[in-house]
Amino acid sequence: MDEFYSSIQRDILKYIDPGIINCYQCGKCTAGCPLSDIFEYKPNQIMMLVQAGRIESIINSNSIFLCLSCEICSSRCPQDVHIAKIMQYIRNEAWKVDKIKVASIKRFYKLFLKEVGITGRSYEPGLIAGLNLISGKLLNDMDIAVKILGKRKINLIPEFVKDRKGISRIVKKYL
Amino acid sequence: MQDTINKNGLNKIAYYPGCSLNSTAIDFNISLKKLLDILDIGYIEIDDWNCCGTTPAQNVSSELVYTLSARNLILAKKMGIQEILCPCVSCYNKLYKAAYYINTASKLKNKKEEQMRDTIIANLKDMGFNVEEELNFKVYSVIEFLYLKKKIIGEKYNEINAGRENLPANRVLLEKLKPVCYYGCALLRPDSALRFDDFEKPTSMEEILEEAGIVCKNFQFKTECCGAILSLTHKNAVLKLSNMILDSALESDANCLVVFCPLCQQNLDLRQDQINKLYKKNYHLPVFYITQLLGIALGLTPRSVMLDRLFVSPEFIKND
Ligand code: SF4
Ligand code: SF4
Repeated sequence: MDEFYSSIQRDILKYIDPGIINCYQCGKCTAGCPLSDIFEYKPNQIMMLVQAGRIESIINSNSIFLCLSCEICSSRCPQDVHIAKIMQYIRNEAWKVDKIKVASIKRFYKLFLKEVGITGRSYEPGLIAGLNLISGKLLNDMDIAVKILGKRKINLIPEFVKDRKGISRIVKKYL
Repeated sequence: MQDTINKNGLNKIAYYPGCSLNSTAIDFNISLKKLLDILDIGYIEIDDWNCCGTTPAQNVSSELVYTLSARNLILAKKMGIQEILCPCVSCYNKLYKAAYYINTASKLKNKKEEQMRDTIIANLKDMGFNVEEELNFKVYSVIEFLYLKKKIIGEKYNEINAGRENLPANRVLLEKLKPVCYYGCALLRPDSALRFDDFEKPTSMEEILEEAGIVCKNFQFKTECCGAILSLTHKNAVLKLSNMILDSALESDANCLVVFCPLCQQNLDLRQDQINKLYKKNYHLPVFYITQLLGIALGLTPRSVMLDRLFVSPEFIKND
């Protein structure tokens, strides 16, 4: 596992964003991040942890899994560090070894991609029902479901891509 | 390019609606298509398109999301078109990036990016596609596309209003609006083509709307993030962000918002009641798609652009 973590750091420094060495901890990324108050490590701390080679600590915290990829952080960094891209890379690596700290996110993504693998499209009614069933909170967001139905903003029958065998194969390969 | 894309010519733009525009954002889909018709812009939906994979696929594996997205590009090419209009901001980011990886002339930055291209191409072949020919995709978001077309919008608007003595009924509706434009995070991304506008203080939406006689108010929170798809797993984080955006709209003395992203629209409109409850507020701010307002300004009825499908009813524009 040690080699796994150190290879992530190596790849970031070499390919993903060599400019990370220019981070001088000004904190602008964190100031703009819409989620920094629920992140266990703030974006600037994550940059510091990458520099220090502490990738394992990053993967064991919730930040990279909650990150929205809105890229406010990257767009405001005075040193042009691409914070969001670095976090995206670590997140993808964490999925490869199935280390996903935030259980609700893991459930949601798996359910979503399973559906895409089956139909080729995403299907919101199945998703909402499925999420509520797995989480055991049947009434979670019921108000929203009722509203969507009332406005006929949902297809009650899932749509299928005609040529979807290849899609199923590819989704399985990564899930 | 675009002026070659019109109904009478051979050229059409390929249209990728994406999953949201077929369900929760059906109003965006219909109003955009009707607007394109009025503007005489030819489009054709990509045959057998699939889900781009969006946030879940992106976060699980970049290879997966760009493969799923690239399949749609290749399908457009099969129809002989390499220019794609992609209204959903989330899909746009994925299709745009996929085009970057697979376009023949792209200058990829390093070995990792080349590996990404090779994997996407191998996956496409595995799905049975021929990817030997020159690939030269250009993906447009609605905002960039309408901005390029803003002259035509202005001309149409003047044509409709020329020689009229009284304001047309639709125009009267629009006069009551005091909108602010909310861009969300769409323009922030450093590697996106949407950087055609100032990413912190953009004005492209305002400029487009002005062509159709709609004047917008200034707004502090134009490019804050709404929380996007986190609403399904971490609802309160999203309600908090959306509350700040609505609050700032009120401070600007607005009575509605204009957006071009299905996720922003959902978080601000569908969840406005939840925000009101949680924060003990009393917001009643309709959240329009820019295509709905443009459509009305260019003569469509409120019903035909599906204003009745908004959750926060814009009723006040009729009877206040
Ligand atoms: S904004 Fe840039 S330089 Fe400042 S702390 Fe964040 S990454 Fe470092
Ligand atoms: S991309 Fe992620 S880390 Fe950066 S500002 Fe957005 S949510 Fe925060």
